[in-house]
Amino acid sequence: MQLDRFAIGLACVVSAAFAQPGADWPTYGGDLASSKYRPLDQINAANFSQLEIAWRFKTDNIGNRPEYKLEGTPLMVKGVVYATAGSRRAAIALDAATGELLWVHGEHEGERGAAAPRQLSGRGLAYWSDGKEERILYVTPGYRLIALDAKTGALVSTFGQGGAVDLKLDDDQTIEPDLTTGEIGFQGAPVVARDTVIVGAAFREGMTPKSMRNNKGYVRGFDVRTGKRLWIFHTIPLKNELGYDTWENGSAEYTGNTGVWTQISVDEQLGLVYLPVESPTGDYYGGHRPGANLFGETLVCVDLKTGQRKWHFQLVHHPLWDMDISSAPLLADITVNGRAIKAVAQPTKQGILYVFDRVTGKPVWPIEEKKVERGSVPGEWYSPTQPIPSKPPAYARNGVSIDDLIDFTPALRDQARTQIARYKIGPVFTPPVESQAAGPIATLTLGTASGGTNWPGGSYDPETHTVYVYACNSCVTPISLLPAPKDISDMRYVAGAAGQPVRMRTGPGENTGADSPLPARTPGGRGGAAAGGGGSGFGGLSVQGLPLIKPPYSTISAIKLDTGEIAWQIPHGETPDAIRNHAALNGLAIPRTGQSGYNIGTLITKTLLIAGDGQVTTTDAHPRGAMLRAYDKASGKEVGSVWMPAPQSGSPMTYMWRGKQYIVIAVSGGAYSGEYIAFRLPDEGR
Amino acid sequence: MGRYRTWVSAALVCAAAALAQTSRSVWDGAFTEDQARRGGSVAEKECVNCHGAALSGGEEAPALEGAGFLSNWNGLTVGDLFDRIRKSMPQDDPTRLTRQQDADVLAYILSLNRFPAGKTELSTQSEVLKQIKIEPAK
Repeated sequence: MQLDRFAIGLACVVSAAFAQPGADWPTYGGDLASSKYRPLDQINAANFSQLEIAWRFKTDNIGNRPEYKLEGTPLMVKGVVYATAGSRRAAIALDAATGELLWVHGEHEGERGAAAPRQLSGRGLAYWSDGKEERILYVTPGYRLIALDAKTGALVSTFGQGGAVDLKLDDDQTIEPDLTTGEIGFQGAPVVARDTVIVGAAFREGMTPKSMRNNKGYVRGFDVRTGKRLWIFHTIPLKNELGYDTWENGSAEYTGNTGVWTQISVDEQLGLVYLPVESPTGDYYGGHRPGANLFGETLVCVDLKTGQRKWHFQLVHHPLWDMDISSAPLLADITVNGRAIKAVAQPTKQGILYVFDRVTGKPVWPIEEKKVERGSVPGEWYSPTQPIPSKPPAYARNGVSIDDLIDFTPALRDQARTQIARYKIGPVFTPPVESQAAGPIATLTLGTASGGTNWPGGSYDPETHTVYVYACNSCVTPISLLPAPKDISDMRYVAGAAGQPVRMRTGPGENTGADSPLPARTPGGRGGAAAGGGGSGFGGLSVQGLPLIKPPYSTISAIKLDTGEIAWQIPHGETPDAIRNHAALNGLAIPRTGQSGYNIGTLITKTLLIAGDGQVTTTDAHPRGAMLRAYDKASGKEVGSVWMPAPQSGSPMTYMWRGKQYIVIAVSGGAYSGEYIAFRLPDEGR
Repeated sequence: MGRYRTWVSAALVCAAAALAQTSRSVWDGAFTEDQARRGGSVAEKECVNCHGAALSGGEEAPALEGAGFLSNWNGLTVGDLFDRIRKSMPQDDPTRLTRQQDADVLAYILSLNRFPAGKTELSTQSEVLKQIKIEPAK
């Protein structure tokens, strides 16, 4: 493979003179505990609404086409902002005060990049320094770990092969079918702890796998200086490893996926790493992998030096709902009934916060195995129970009942009831169905594929021992299965709905990056890329254009970890225009509904919780745009807001530089392509 | 002076008339039923893999009908939506579809959102489509 590398190095002169503790943002989550917290208070309730744009960086030209899904959270170290950007997923360095581009490094990966399962700009990168040298590390769409000189953006020639480690090699498996097209990648930010860089793995969307066989998503630690592999953790156990017997009929041998595609947290003091593991092959059908399937959807704690498992807790036995574990574990030192506990709290798609002692893996509050419904899909294996924590209570809807349906008026509720008559509904862990035209056509779920809480995860305030977490409360996913046609998959069942041919479902990261082919435009269009027919046959899950599920459509919750109680919960986001102005709701007083969407992350400062709207609105108070909001973190009361041209699409971060506090946020979506925007307060006297 | 004033008034009236003529919204019958049908066939092949049947939303790709979709495009024009489709959709190859196919898909999207069909098809020129505002409510 010919790789064409470029790096524009502009000398970057920075001064550490203004550095102060807590002023930088050196890792994706703010710190290795993934707190997304900084004790800064220059921007506060009194002045938040006066914020102005300090600089903005449009990412259109970082790649050969604009991107509308910019999900990155930058880092800031010693006056330089680092981020991934653009359809090329280049690493960029910007001046923290002005946004001036200092350097950019992109990798042209050709066919390998075009075949990658997770393309586009990714979520971020990692910074490392030993006090002398400074490095930036990130993973390309084609699954190569790149090390750059943080000052110039040049490849570090002593790392791996000329600055890159091919992550498809030395992985205790042969990536099939070959290194170019073999399905495996990673769109998250690597994490560096004590000179070890840790990388997970991601795959295509898993609703319609091409095969029950796939590559496996092992997690590895590498020496940050040399790129040498230090350890590997087998997320699907090898023979003779603990958990192998949870894959009956030898299914551990061929089942794949089960990666860690989201952010990893580390306690450097304890020397422990916390791995949130995703679903095994087949999001909704597990008939080819009978058994509980460790370490699928399991929180695993491993040793930072060796990768050896210390403890694990499986959140979902035999995963069938695409619950993954979708975000960074939050490391929290708490006090429960007078006892100090080093804890780890895991937000989830299913709207449940699981809390463990992070040294022992013991639940802080009892987690009970509760009986759950057994499904009837032929060949499926069902876990008779699932673990449900006694505390804290679920912070988002994770099942569908009649009471969850739209209720602005009795007529709308009746209409919703009629519309879902052919669907199976029920509480969390209600099993998927084989789709029947006469019903059930699907299991209607909340808190599954979309979540709930997806990749942005939650924040943790170490001062007040509070987890803050956003959740979609109305992201409905109909889950149903159809026998897989032989030309689509060798699985017995894949996602599909009666009345519609089964077809391969793809996600937004697939075939969309700068290496993807852009063939010449042909008159009349090429067309016919896929067989005719529909995907899922679930049209019309809105009611007169209104959401099927009643408000709040999304929430932010504050959960006290010393008591396991929800201190407050608020809807997040302006009521969408289409609801505020809907004819059927004329004259009704509708409190703020929040907005449906699953990609909102939260930032915590000394006094504020900061998060942007996920949709644009136009109101009397502001022109068309999305608001970046500040809430009093103690009460949840909104204390300020500032206008943005597009919705928040990446989680906000903050830093202090030369006496000024900045908030940087990625926005994109709809007609607006990706942009990083930095806010700060106006200079005094201006 | 008097003549000048008359000329100015006439010009203003013309301008206002022209504005009234070009200031259209999705409620004014911006597409035809035939066009929406054609667009439906294109969408079946090109869009539903990610956006779900009837474009009601996939696991990750958003719904192209309903409150969330309309709220996100409220205040913009059909031309803005057209340009977004031209630039980035279908995501695996944004050059695959012709302008006509993109316009037809747009007609289908408008019909899914219950905007009325009319007698004229949506144009294939984004400048023309930018005269048609997206308004969730009439």
